[in-house]
Amino acid sequence: MEETPVLSALADGVLTLTLNRPQRLNAMNNALIEAMNRALARARDDAAIRAVLLTGSGRGFCAGADLAGGGTVDAAAAEPPDLGANMDRIFNPMIRAMRALPKPIVGAINGVAAGGGANFALACDIVLAARSARFDQAFVRISLLPDLGGTWFLPHLVGDARARALAMLGTSLTAEQAERMGMIWQVVEDTALMDEATTLARRLAAGPTLSYAAIKQAIDAAATNSLDRQLDLERDSQRLLGKTADSREGVAAFRAKRPAQFTGR
Amino acid sequence: MTYSQITLAKADGLATLTLSQPEKLNAVSRKMIAEIKSAWEDIAADGAVRAVLLTGAGRGFCAGADLADPDRDTGPNADSGAALDKFFNPVIRTMRSIPKPIVAAVNGVAAGVGMSFALASDIAIAAKSASFLQAFARIGLLPDGGSTWFLPRLVGEQRARALAMLAPQIKAEQAKEWGLIWDVVEDADLMKTATDLARRLAGGPTLSLARIKEAMNRAHGNDLGQQLDLERDFQRELGRSEDFKEGVQAFLAKRPATFKGK
Repeated sequence: MEETPVLSALADGVLTLTLNRPQRLNAMNNALIEAMNRALARARDDAAIRAVLLTGSGRGFCAGADLAGGGTVDAAAAEPPDLGANMDRIFNPMIRAMRALPKPIVGAINGVAAGGGANFALACDIVLAARSARFDQAFVRISLLPDLGGTWFLPHLVGDARARALAMLGTSLTAEQAERMGMIWQVVEDTALMDEATTLARRLAAGPTLSYAAIKQAIDAAATNSLDRQLDLERDSQRLLGKTADSREGVAAFRAKRPAQFTGR
Repeated sequence: MTYSQITLAKADGLATLTLSQPEKLNAVSRKMIAEIKSAWEDIAADGAVRAVLLTGAGRGFCAGADLADPDRDTGPNADSGAALDKFFNPVIRTMRSIPKPIVAAVNGVAAGVGMSFALASDIAIAAKSASFLQAFARIGLLPDGGSTWFLPRLVGEQRARALAMLAPQIKAEQAKEWGLIWDVVEDADLMKTATDLARRLAGGPTLSLARIKEAMNRAHGNDLGQQLDLERDFQRELGRSEDFKEGVQAFLAKRPATFKGK
């Protein structure tokens, strides 16, 4: 039977994407990444989608590239593989699409996030993890370097010292350790994860979408901007946001001391 | 300029800038930001000022932009970029570029651009009861006053995104734990601790403090090779200062140094 590597469901403005290869701890094969890319294009184009929730089915979030049969690498081939080709074709476009999506992405990390699976998780805007989840930069164990943005995300999340150690030692972190070093936003109890993550994603889906899009873009740009250029960027974004219906509603609601009703426009 | 929304006091090389609209938790009106900008220009131009203390009167530090300000344009074509260009961004640029250390004594809530003022300071100390809030997304805006730049550098990408998008109110102790600010002290001790620190900096080796500030600013855009060259250049220059000579002599004689900022 043909498997559906990514399940998608749309409700209350939230597109929930569930990695669905539980027998392989949702390890990434080409079909899974291609399905993710289609789902992200849909999330971008469909105005009814105002937030994305990403999680895994079963006991793992994503065990990284599927190194066994049907995976991304043919280890038995005689010629050394070109790992870069597939990254160029589908993996890196997925990470780029996640960061460029003008809508917030919540990660609900339900179990192990290893190798590329860890960095797939860290590409989300706000990461919640179950207490039993783990984050594992396993690459060095097979003589590779962190990919899917790992060498960029790590120093930007936890600082240089921890980034180097995590990448070189391949240390596996508990969700609590990851929270304490700022790698993820919050740890929640295993049984509460999906409820909390869904509540958060729904709240974002009912929020000022254009403001979230501007925040994503500004924080990405901040990584390479001087403060001087960033102040100009904030001015330009604030000028655009100030003219939106949601900003007018936000100020009116604040002054009337009532909850704001945002429409994403 | 005479001030009605703030106070600016100078003594012994220390300038103290106090936001002073306590009944509004020092929310920033157009009138207040014009005064704040003028005060920073004064501080920048005054060679006798060697350190700055920034704080708020009453129980708040700064509640952010004053949304009830009668001077605020609330029309459909209001330009929220104009006030940033004219007032807020020049203030943040001056705070980061003046060759003098800035201590923020965060005495209460620091919200919106008020939080940006605290983060733009070199050393922020908060009272235990103070709190920090990136309120912007609550009214459909994005953090400004440099906060989209300060936040990821201070607390990393995840916390920056969550603080900006979810707009949670963060207690002072949490802010310290995350590295958002330098220290937290008991409410009753805040002004004494911050003033002592600012006075110490005002009596310190001003050129060294200025170069530290500039080097840290530039580190964010430099690669390590460029930064090593910059350290060499600054060190060469500082090695020729009077304060360096005094510092070395005092160290060898095991006596406290008397720095002049030269």
